[in-house]
Amino acid sequence: MRNGGIRMENIIVSMNHISKSFPGVKALDDVSFELREGEVMALLGENGAGKSTLMKVLSGVYTRDEGTLTIRGKEYGDLTPKLAREVGVAIIHQELNMCRDLTVAENMFLGREVMNGISLNNAQMDAEAKKYMDELGVDISPRQIVGDLPVSKQQMIEIAKALSVNAKILIMDEPTSALTSREIEELFRIIHKLKADGHGIVYISHRLEELSHIADRVTIMRDGQFIESGNFKDYTMDEIISLMVGREIKEKFPRIPAHRGEKVFEVKDLNAGRMVRDINFSLYAGEIVGFAGLMGAGRTETTRAIFGVDKKTSGRFFLDGKEIRIDKPFDAIKAGVVLAPEDRKKDGLCTKLSVRHNLALPNLDWICGAGGIVSAAKEEELCDKAVESLSIKTSGLEVDANTLSGGNQQKIVVGKWLARTSRVVIFDEPTRGIDVGAKVEIYHLMNQLKEQGIAVMFVSSEMPEILGFSDRIIVMCDGRITGELDAKNATQNEVLKLATAFESKLGV
Amino acid sequence: MKNEKKKRGLLEIRGLRAALTAFAGLIVIYVAFGLINTKVFSMQNIMNLLRSMSKYLLIGVGQSYVMITGNIDLSIGSVVGMSAMLTATLMTLGVAPILAIGASLLCGVVIGIVNGTLVGKFKLPPFIATLGTMFVARGVAYMVNGNRNTDNIGITLGKETADRFQNIFYYGKTLGLFNPFWIAFVIFLVFFFILSKTRSGRHIYAIGSNADAAKLSGVDVTATTIKAYLVSSFCAVIVGVILAAQAGMGNMDAGLSYEMYGVAASVIGGVSPLGGSGLLLGTFAGAALWQTLENGLNLIHAPVGIQRLAIGIIVVMAVLMDIFLRSGSARSTKKSD
Repeated sequence: MRNGGIRMENIIVSMNHISKSFPGVKALDDVSFELREGEVMALLGENGAGKSTLMKVLSGVYTRDEGTLTIRGKEYGDLTPKLAREVGVAIIHQELNMCRDLTVAENMFLGREVMNGISLNNAQMDAEAKKYMDELGVDISPRQIVGDLPVSKQQMIEIAKALSVNAKILIMDEPTSALTSREIEELFRIIHKLKADGHGIVYISHRLEELSHIADRVTIMRDGQFIESGNFKDYTMDEIISLMVGREIKEKFPRIPAHRGEKVFEVKDLNAGRMVRDINFSLYAGEIVGFAGLMGAGRTETTRAIFGVDKKTSGRFFLDGKEIRIDKPFDAIKAGVVLAPEDRKKDGLCTKLSVRHNLALPNLDWICGAGGIVSAAKEEELCDKAVESLSIKTSGLEVDANTLSGGNQQKIVVGKWLARTSRVVIFDEPTRGIDVGAKVEIYHLMNQLKEQGIAVMFVSSEMPEILGFSDRIIVMCDGRITGELDAKNATQNEVLKLATAFESKLGV
Repeated sequence: MKNEKKKRGLLEIRGLRAALTAFAGLIVIYVAFGLINTKVFSMQNIMNLLRSMSKYLLIGVGQSYVMITGNIDLSIGSVVGMSAMLTATLMTLGVAPILAIGASLLCGVVIGIVNGTLVGKFKLPPFIATLGTMFVARGVAYMVNGNRNTDNIGITLGKETADRFQNIFYYGKTLGLFNPFWIAFVIFLVFFFILSKTRSGRHIYAIGSNADAAKLSGVDVTATTIKAYLVSSFCAVIVGVILAAQAGMGNMDAGLSYEMYGVAASVIGGVSPLGGSGLLLGTFAGAALWQTLENGLNLIHAPVGIQRLAIGIIVVMAVLMDIFLRSGSARSTKKSD
């Protein structure tokens, strides 16, 4: 199957004038797309631009309404997922699709098990799995249970699985969103290798800064339309962003001058397991404090411990100098300390409930009258205000929250707290996985809170955001606070140094 | 414009479409049987129908509450039996009916709290936790009167007291309809109101949709789970009392497999077995549909087996239809990026 000489100009995917409509929405409008052998094509656009829809057409999940589709020199009229797989198209999903309780080899050969008469030929499957792992240069045993492996390794297994079915076209949808920077480097090494072997890679990501390491060409989409395509190095970041958004974003991080006020909130001696150790810090009115660190530094755990979600072994909290008890989230909410959690789908939203019910949920204590009866008028007012002030794009309050785009879902997660008079608002990765436009809106929102004299704490794994948007930076590593920096003078190197200040004796 | 927006919003309320579909099905079945046998339309039959339906309605309301939290209560049928036996046994011993019912309610509350605590606090799979209490409650039902059905409830209290009890809970009428229907209907209305209009109702939906997110929004997941199981136990106890009144005695096997009838009524009415969605209005339609089917098949002298068979098919069809409707509407509303 392997081609001898790889020629860069070999086009392996060519999609021309593709259109696809869903009832009420034109998801793709005359889009053309091209992928060559041995290249990484970055497919960029805001959420809702049509990137995933286009890739679903390529992988046979959706049938196009119009346009032609040529894969490896052959035109396909009706492409089914099965046929797409057979001709070498593979998707590495953003949310990994694996059976967590099965082994690596069992997952790789799921549905095409090698048989030995009527019994499974495990030895051969293990050997084959090992072969592909070796080829990728990753150290994963075929007999390991997938669920025990970190996400980064699971991703490698998906890639290996794609190679094992002879995939030539790999579609990676936000592959780095859950990886640490070291794991990202590992992934990039593998992408370079796949490139060298002549695979074509479609790379979808919101993290523009990482593209310079891997992207050869770029295709930009907006509102279901093809905008531009060209060599990656011919564009500046700002050009790409303005093409994606369709408008100039003047300030990427609209930081407003800090008017640091009184001390609002203080955390003393907070301990909660290994990931939260001896945490002490204070938040001030009208100040945005960024919590930096690597993945697994204990920042999310810290927010959860403060908010009373997880049990803590010690810890005292002071609001305006007075000690408050927080044993469960409701205690924190009553005191005016609120948290917009990291994982929207898991912790932030009741996805099966309507927008209205989601917005009202934490505010039921005050929109309910006597006997706990919900006041429809108060609820309406609250929801209208949230939708308007955050410009949440929804076709109505009754639609299920999960029908909204990621950015709008995030606005609901944040918006449900704004109706309350909060003193402290904690954001955990507020801009993860949302598009540039929605990001700026979240920043503006945080600024509004800051101007109202609310103490804002936000956890972020994106260095530019931490450096560009916070007033003060607290860095964590391995469950401890390792340093505090004034954001104006802080550099990326300083933050990174603190973020990797592991205790040597632990040897982990 | 504003009006139009409101109207569209109403149909988008989760579960309303399924509930209305169940009502439509109910009407079709009712009319179809009526065309075969006009007795179906008689006032007498309608009254009987409403009376028989009361048990399914109560069981359905209880099971729906638990199902909307994303759980299930397998102990309902046994609690019905326990309540019937306990109420009847105490009455044969000369205890006043009101106290006998009180004692049954107390036992029901205990079972509800145990179920809710096991599931909500100790995170036992609801199937297992309530399987345990199912056996326990049935065991209690057997032991209460020494492993046999009770004598007539009037044996020591006298015929007059026994008759009054039986009239209040089964044979008597108020405003032209049998009392058990009113009892079930009032309880239905109360819980309908709580579920749709109050804070604790919202909490029930929220933990069924996403317990983690609900917790982070300040909802006490354990307390809410216990509340849901209390509702199902309460409803089961009332059904037990109704059965005792109907038979004039306690039957050890009363309420056998009622928990599954509750699941069926809920599911036919569009309550999601996965939690987070469903309306008690649907459960009402589900219970009525079932009873109408049973009643109609009886009147055309169909064998009992046919009833079970038909119910089985309808339950599966209802869920299948829901899946098709949902995937259809998901395709039309879901915006992909």
